[in-house]
Amino acid sequence: MKKLRQYLEIFYLLSKYSFVTSTQSNVSFVLFFIAKMIRFAMFFFFIYYLVANTKTLSGYSVDQALIFFVTFNIIDSISQALFREVYRFRQMVVSGELNSVLVKPYPILLRVLIGGVDPMDLLISVCYIVLAGYMIHATGAVSVFSGFVYIGLILNSLVLATAFHIAVLGFAIITTDVDHSILIYRDLTSAGRFPLEIYREPLRSFLTFVVPVGIMMSYPSQALFGTLSLLQGSIGITISLVVICVSLYFWKYSLRKYQSWGG
Amino acid sequence: MALYLQILSVTLAEYFAYRLNFVLWRLRSFFSMVIRYYLWLAVYEKAGTLFGYTESQMLTYVLLSTIISGFVLSTRTPDIAGQILHGDVINFLLKPFSFFGYFMSRDFIDKLLNVAFSIIEVFILMALLKPQIYINTDPGAWLALGALTILGCIIAFNINLLISFIAFWSPEVWAPRFIFFILVLFFSGGFFPLDILPVKIYNLLLLTPFPYFYFIPTKIYLGYTGFELLGYGVATIFWTVITSYIVLFVWKKGLRGYSFYGR
Repeated sequence: MKKLRQYLEIFYLLSKYSFVTSTQSNVSFVLFFIAKMIRFAMFFFFIYYLVANTKTLSGYSVDQALIFFVTFNIIDSISQALFREVYRFRQMVVSGELNSVLVKPYPILLRVLIGGVDPMDLLISVCYIVLAGYMIHATGAVSVFSGFVYIGLILNSLVLATAFHIAVLGFAIITTDVDHSILIYRDLTSAGRFPLEIYREPLRSFLTFVVPVGIMMSYPSQALFGTLSLLQGSIGITISLVVICVSLYFWKYSLRKYQSWGG
Repeated sequence: MALYLQILSVTLAEYFAYRLNFVLWRLRSFFSMVIRYYLWLAVYEKAGTLFGYTESQMLTYVLLSTIISGFVLSTRTPDIAGQILHGDVINFLLKPFSFFGYFMSRDFIDKLLNVAFSIIEVFILMALLKPQIYINTDPGAWLALGALTILGCIIAFNINLLISFIAFWSPEVWAPRFIFFILVLFFSGGFFPLDILPVKIYNLLLLTPFPYFYFIPTKIYLGYTGFELLGYGVATIFWTVITSYIVLFVWKKGLRGYSFYGR
């Protein structure tokens, strides 16, 4: 318990530093915020316009397709808010700075995976959550139970996102490449902007079982609309647990291979 | 001329030195094309014609715009911002070749490789999924497609340069570039053909340089002829001339006030 409190204090401290760093340049902060909002608004408008004209997208109405999209954004932005440090990890490896982190008396992942919350993405996440709450409430056809399952599966998605980011860190130690692997992860997850049902086989199975983007981005909304079976949900949670265990194992393996590239 | 050929060969050698980077970049582009392809396939599931496009025309649009965008948007000009900020640009001014010629040569190789790989990827997709695509047999359309694509390249090159030239006055170069990426994604027709939008919005977009990057060339392949072709041709030439003039003006103005210690 005492250790947990200590870790939380470190997390708070790192988040405070992250906040100061991110807001050092107000212009950049505002411009990036505007850019992300423009991207969201454009996609939102596009999906609305497209599905409103076609009436349905793989059986989903306009409102439902938009909730899929907003849910994707919630998971994506929370992951970015929590794991922004992963994007800076390469520099830490090639400069040898990682050596000094390894000797610190706290879990290394606390520093290299989380390293403090990104304030901009946190702010954006709050906006998305409020919007999703409003939209789900406005549809009116969602039970309290499916609401709870929806939140539970979003948490499950964050477990998967954590696993992916840990795997990227492990990959970075072995190859010193972060930029492309994290961007490939982001490209793959971007398939979740739309309901998984739009993808035909074998891509759909690939996105569900090989790279579990479907479980991560589609399952919460599917549960909300009652198109996800209990079996599928259980498989989704099981896969997440397996994936996080495998990525932690891979992380430990990569640490054993670490040779202090630049130190 | 021999000097620029040498620059081409050095740039090519750089790409072969970082093969994995290039392969991973292409993998990302391929995946992004697959997502768009499946999205439109799902949209056309229960409709013959939508927004004035048949399924075959829309899939042709997705595939062809992928190839053209690979050619038009690939560029090495973002490096210039860093070179201005770190003072390296001064070295270029002392060398016996044109600064713009140097970056055009580098861009040429970048575009050549990207378009070659885009074509291979499109053929892989076509071999795997066998979509019905629209074949234009009019040599005039092919000629206009080629000419407008080259002009689109020049417009994109100029705007990319202008964004990098921000570094003459401010270190905040990434946020404007990020905004530019997002605007290009939507306003150049990367995700959907622009003429599916309401007419007023579409006409407004035609007043910006974005549609001339690759939307107009792709539409010419799909059947713009006569006065339409002439009108869009004139507009493309207008943007080419005006952006070239602005680039030279900003470059001269930026250099006049530029200084860097230690060089």
